[in-house]
Amino acid sequence: MAHLAVRDVHTFYGPSHVLHGASLEVETGSIAALLGRNGMGKTTLLRSIMGLTPAASGEIELAGTRIDHLQPFDIFDLGVGYVPQGRHVFPYLTVQENLRLGLRNKRKRDPEIFEKLFGYFPILAERRKQKAGTMSGGEQQQLAIARALAGEVKIMLLDEPTEGIQPSIVDEILELLVRINQADGLTILLVEQNMELGLSVARDFFVMEKGVVVEAGAVAGMDKERVINEYLVV
Amino acid sequence: MSTTQLILLQILNTGVTMGILMLVAIGLGIIYGLMDVINLAHSEFLMLGAYGWVIARLVGLDGWTGLIIAPVLVGLVGYVIERGLVQYLYRRPLDSLLATWGVSLILVQAARIVFGPAPQAVPTPLEGAVDLFGMPYGRYRLFVLAVSIVIISLTLAVFRYPTFGLKTRAVFQDAEMAKCLGIRAPRIYSTGFVIGAALAGLAGALVAPMLTVAPDMGANFLVQSFLVVIVGGAGSLVGVVGGAGVIGGIQGLISYFSSSVLAQVITLTLAIIVVRVRPRGIFTRK
Repeated sequence: MAHLAVRDVHTFYGPSHVLHGASLEVETGSIAALLGRNGMGKTTLLRSIMGLTPAASGEIELAGTRIDHLQPFDIFDLGVGYVPQGRHVFPYLTVQENLRLGLRNKRKRDPEIFEKLFGYFPILAERRKQKAGTMSGGEQQQLAIARALAGEVKIMLLDEPTEGIQPSIVDEILELLVRINQADGLTILLVEQNMELGLSVARDFFVMEKGVVVEAGAVAGMDKERVINEYLVV
Repeated sequence: MSTTQLILLQILNTGVTMGILMLVAIGLGIIYGLMDVINLAHSEFLMLGAYGWVIARLVGLDGWTGLIIAPVLVGLVGYVIERGLVQYLYRRPLDSLLATWGVSLILVQAARIVFGPAPQAVPTPLEGAVDLFGMPYGRYRLFVLAVSIVIISLTLAVFRYPTFGLKTRAVFQDAEMAKCLGIRAPRIYSTGFVIGAALAGLAGALVAPMLTVAPDMGANFLVQSFLVVIVGGAGSLVGVVGGAGVIGGIQGLISYFSSSVLAQVITLTLAIIVVRVRPRGIFTRK
């Protein structure tokens, strides 16, 4: 069953037409990689799903419920976590405050969730009193992911989570995402420019070209060489 | 009067000026910092607060009740303006500047039509003076100083500690990301606007017995409040409070020891230097 279904979505930035009828379906409990060169509309598609750059037409469904007319905070309430490109942690808030903002009920201090998150990301436990803006890129990325997980979301949209991060931390983050996917059944849609990385963890893939999904399928049956040559070589 | 008494008198008077300026400028800073809205009608909230007291007297209420009613009424006016106009102008500083200028003109003219153009005197609810180190000082002025300190401290606490404060700081820093974490940013904007309007209304009610109440009384406060936000920085409330301290302090001290014209020249020069050297304000983090 599709956890997330995007059908014929058109999105504009002012007069600029960016998504030209994008469609994709992400299965419940799967990890899907959304691939494509720079400027092909991957980030815009995630922003449209999240309600940040609303689709002008088309349908976006979450577990059968239309969400294309909803605000980002309503979409979060439906269980969608978003880790944007560039991380967007709140730089002048502490690690703990950032995590608290990720909780569904921000009034309630939930020690169990915090314990679980600190288990996934021990560095955040050490830095809990530190201002997020003073941490390294890799630590901020871990915080951004932990903050999204704090909301006990059912699906997570990750935009370039490995960008600008040292390789050892990239491996840790990807391994962790796979672990959480397997343990909790978290559905993940991962935008990744580094195809090898994206495909190393994904079960399904989508390729975007000029605002449209032009290729989709299971990673296991993918003709990597052809996809790279046709859509991903710069 | 001895030199010590003169210095004490000046410190107290400067404190009163700074307190009023902080109450007005905090609202301006909240509204600009949260929504990128340059609210030229903000000074009219102060004017409405002062007239709130006049209205309270007209309907037979005492001065203390007027002091409580004024910020509530102005907060309601702020809510109507935010819902009816400002909510469509978030993140559009130039458009918001023009639209709120229009609102300012309407409010001033409306006050002129309803209350007349002549300035009105409001009696102080707290007459007499207290003895401070052998020097008489107006009881009402001391009351204004105390109320300003309490209200500013409470405002800073509200925006600092509870869940509302955390959410507001998140919206201040990254409104888009805050929305993606379930925070109803439009609700925060409305609440911030209403709090800002109510604080300006309270400032207006507090200054009413010390000045004359007139439809255009807000203009001078608007200029000074903008200078406060420029010097202190709109990015944080602490910055606005610091800015009010600097501007209010300079104005008060230089006006006393030299002239108010020189005080204006120095504050404007300081604002120009700050814009050039620290465009985000003296007290705001880079």
